Amino acid sequence: MAGALSGVLAYLGCGLLGFVGAPRAFSLLALVAGVGSLLSWAPGFPEALVGGLPWGIAVAADGWTLGLWALGLFLHAVLLIHARDRKDSFHPLTTVLIGTCLAAALSRDLFNLYVLLHLTSLLALVLIASGRRLRAIWAGVQYLILTQVGLTLYLFGLGLVYGRLGTLSISSLAGRGVDLGDPTLAVGVGLLLAGAAVETGLFPFGLWLPQAHGQAPTEVSVLLSGIVVKIGAVTLARLAEAFPVGNVLVAMGIVTGFGGILYALWERDLKVFLGFHTVSQLGYILIGIGLGARTGALLYAVAHGLFKGLLFLAAGEAVEGCGERRIAGLAGRLSAPVAVALGVGTWAIVGLPPLAGFAAKGILAQGAPVWTKSVLVALSLGTAASFAKLIPLLRPRGRGRVGGLALLETAVIGLGGGVTLLAPERLDLRAWVEPFLIAGAGYALYLGLRLRRPALPRFTLDRALVSLLGAAIVLAGAISFAH
Amino acid sequence: MEGLTALALAIALLGVGLWTLIVRRNLIWKLLGLNVASSGAILFLVALAHRPAARPPITGLGPGPSADPLPHALVLTAIVIDFATLALALVFVIVLTERRHTQDVRRLERDEEHGWPER
Repeated sequence: MAGALSGVLAYLGCGLLGFVGAPRAFSLLALVAGVGSLLSWAPGFPEALVGGLPWGIAVAADGWTLGLWALGLFLHAVLLIHARDRKDSFHPLTTVLIGTCLAAALSRDLFNLYVLLHLTSLLALVLIASGRRLRAIWAGVQYLILTQVGLTLYLFGLGLVYGRLGTLSISSLAGRGVDLGDPTLAVGVGLLLAGAAVETGLFPFGLWLPQAHGQAPTEVSVLLSGIVVKIGAVTLARLAEAFPVGNVLVAMGIVTGFGGILYALWERDLKVFLGFHTVSQLGYILIGIGLGARTGALLYAVAHGLFKGLLFLAAGEAVEGCGERRIAGLAGRLSAPVAVALGVGTWAIVGLPPLAGFAAKGILAQGAPVWTKSVLVALSLGTAASFAKLIPLLRPRGRGRVGGLALLETAVIGLGGGVTLLAPERLDLRAWVEPFLIAGAGYALYLGLRLRRPALPRFTLDRALVSLLGAAIVLAGAISFAH
Repeated sequence: MEGLTALALAIALLGVGLWTLIVRRNLIWKLLGLNVASSGAILFLVALAHRPAARPPITGLGPGPSADPLPHALVLTAIVIDFATLALALVFVIVLTERRHTQDVRRLERDEEHGWPER
């Protein structure tokens, strides 16, 4: 435990020192300390209380912690390489943000998670706005207001749970076998879920996410989609440990998955399009958490962090290099490294073998009930159909900078290949043919859908706020009804 | 203040805050509504610490039941965070006001649809 906490402290301390001077050196120092700390406690440690009994904050390291630490540290390394020329406060802010994420991955206390979620959203706002683009600032303000409302609901729910059960520790709540038939508790848990869901970016009120992630500077998009939304996901996973809410999470996952795809199908802006797919892929992760497929959900979260990081990095390079955000306007204008990276990322997210998406989707679907499997196939179909419009972009033109792209590509391919080799059922011929059939059907669907663009409701702040409050009420109702 | 009164007041504050947040179109009003709503959540936590005929949770004040100290500690953290959030949000609202000359959410959204300059 001491090793993990010193890793977090090193990150926060180095981040703060970086504001004073030598930001890149301190970032690198934090990364080294973080990797050292990870190696010192891997593969995990049992729960311990920081600050002594009985008021200490519970921390523990399980699979989620391990996965998110590895992902966070890896993305930090990529950004250190890719953004080494950035002189402003990017590096210190990134270091503090990753330190916060590392802390959240360790935490097993509802209030501690609340504080860390708050801190993540504040840092994310500053990073989103750091490009000084007006659209990014506006997206960031909307993001801040929504997450703050969500976290206020979360605090209220936390109070209700504490008032009834007298504890905020995930493990002691899990050990108690909470009965959600009690309406007060049902409301409390509904509010907790709604609050964590805003931070994660679940549909429909999570439609802040594509704008915020899409309008942010390139490196920031990588961080946000790679690791920050996963902190929301891990909070939901902790809530699912503490309370019997699996079915509710599966329902939220399905809505989120299809909602994200629906908007992504017709989106024209490349980065916002990728943002919508962060929403849709969160649906997968949530379905996995809800079904209790812990390994699958975790693997998908890590794999998504890698290939979405790759896609955002490539898309950012393309958008900044060409001065053009529209997908149609970028066709045939990308440099070879960017086009290759976009291709690898697309191959992975559609779930074609043997990359990370294929491996993670396979493990996630294992042991899922039949109807859920068909939902997952439908989600893959939608993902393939919407990514089909990137095909014209894959024709490269000229050379360009490779930067951190190669590192991420290696990770996407390595993780996919490694998991595929370790899981023998993934080497089955049927498992390999199926994704290609889905991708083919997706392409056909794309050709069919290209004809007409429906008028989808626009995301506005007021609609998001109303839908958030509505969702909190529906969640509370659904939870007490289900028990 | 009795626990139940505080509880009712907390829920009222939350309601008023959220109502302001949704109904008002001005960003400053929205932020104020947000702050009122989170004051409601904070007051709720304080009310939770209440025990009948309890003394403050400080050692050395004598025997008898004391109020629950944990919510107090939580509230202190929450208040600091809310302050930081409000300050940061106001900074960005000022930037928006300087560059778009409005704090009206609907106008900002309508303008954005018609296209903003990239810088």
